[in-house]
Amino acid sequence: MFLNPSKLGLSREVPSLKDFMLKQPMMRRVIIALLPILAFSILNFGWKVLINTLVSTGVCFFIEYVFERMKKKKISEAVFVTGLLVGLILPPSTPLWIVAVASGIGIFFGKEVFGGFGRNVFNPAMVGRAFVYVSFPLYLTAKWNLPVFPNGFKYWLSPELTTGATPLEVLKSGELLKRLDLFFGNISGSSGETAKWLIVAAAFYLILTKTASWKIILSTVGSMMGLTLILQLPGIVNYNVFDAVLSGGVLFAAVFMATDPISAPRKEAAKWLYGLIIGVSATIIRTFSLFSEGIMFGVLIGNTFAPLLDVMVSSRSGKK
Amino acid sequence: MNGKDEQISALFKRTLFFENPVVIQILGICSALAVTNRLINTAIMAIGLTLVTALSSLTISAIRNLIPRRIRMMVQVLVIASYVIVFDLILKAYLPAISAALGPYVGLIITNCIIMGRAEAYAQSHPPLSAFLDGLGSGLGYSMVLMIVAFVRELLGFGTLFGVKVTPESFVNWTIMIMAPSAFFVLSIVLWIFKSFRTGTK
Repeated sequence: MFLNPSKLGLSREVPSLKDFMLKQPMMRRVIIALLPILAFSILNFGWKVLINTLVSTGVCFFIEYVFERMKKKKISEAVFVTGLLVGLILPPSTPLWIVAVASGIGIFFGKEVFGGFGRNVFNPAMVGRAFVYVSFPLYLTAKWNLPVFPNGFKYWLSPELTTGATPLEVLKSGELLKRLDLFFGNISGSSGETAKWLIVAAAFYLILTKTASWKIILSTVGSMMGLTLILQLPGIVNYNVFDAVLSGGVLFAAVFMATDPISAPRKEAAKWLYGLIIGVSATIIRTFSLFSEGIMFGVLIGNTFAPLLDVMVSSRSGKK
Repeated sequence: MNGKDEQISALFKRTLFFENPVVIQILGICSALAVTNRLINTAIMAIGLTLVTALSSLTISAIRNLIPRRIRMMVQVLVIASYVIVFDLILKAYLPAISAALGPYVGLIITNCIIMGRAEAYAQSHPPLSAFLDGLGSGLGYSMVLMIVAFVRELLGFGTLFGVKVTPESFVNWTIMIMAPSAFFVLSIVLWIFKSFRTGTK
């Protein structure tokens, strides 16, 4: 493919074939970090979340299997990460067929057409979500479920919140949110993103095991807070910067999606710029557009520039 | 200048399949993205392009020995533009609604690479009748691909075919299929199928 990063003349260690086995314990750690979040989400929203995740993982696994069989290669463990992520970034009430479409499109157009594991330009889970988000806005933006923690195991799906505003809409309208509720996940939202304390814990685990890049997480979240602070000056936004980061899928996406080692840049300096692009575009989109959350587009925009940032950084250091 | 014309069946096999202008030569992609959200618009566009390609190939081939080489491009564009204007005026007079829906794309047939390509690559060096058939075949090859893309897009995007509802009430429209980006998805899959089929037969 013309976007294949390995053809851009970089000595980047594309994690394919050669260090195929090396990369996979990394993916296993991401799965481990995601499981508590999945468990919390089940307690928060009901068993439907588990079924969503099973469907998405199943579809991803199946498509990957078909493609890898054609190429006579092994299935990467990363496909389970993608499957889990797709299940967790959709609202709990998403119909199962939409979950299947999201995972199918994500793994097919986001990963397999580029040549499978290690070659994808975009984060497959985000590709899938973006596709269904644009296709079926009614199901993805209008139906949010109330949290019932810790009684979720009694429910198939927690009662639907039909009239109330989501935290992000509350944020936009300028009312105050209960910060503790935000932090402990006592809010409506997509399945996996509500429990901020678990995401923070997962972030520490992933950083300490050197699975995720702290630079990307820090620059994404930091640039978002910074831009929100700047936007406060002329009074364009009037909410707290911590509320800005704690509401919506920002933390989840920064920890699990932006740090995806394949679609993120490899060079250390490029990672700062990459996070900056994600944070800034996410803030701009959530503040000035009709979409209530911008981190999804932010990550995809960041992915687009990742190979370019690598080239930029390496040509810079070559001149010196 | 090959004196012997290829068989008609071989010609159509070539223009529709082995050298399909859209999926093999990747020409005429802009209009393939722009007009394929409804089958009826696509059909009109396809008819227009097929007629223009066939007739301009015929005309250019008929006068090919009279055109000085250095200005042949200008003459070709002039011929193509005349036919496009005729088609555009007919459309405006008899199908004003579809003409409005297609917007500038009828006029943009002039710039469609397929027509120029056939004029340059074939009509310049072949007798009128085979040039006409070649243009016709190329136009049909274009039409076939566009109709496939439009079929998928209208079915998923509106739940209809030629404006007739064919899906059950519970069907949810795929909003993205109405937008231009979806044409990239559908067209690329069609292209993939064609190419793998082609390498399979060769």
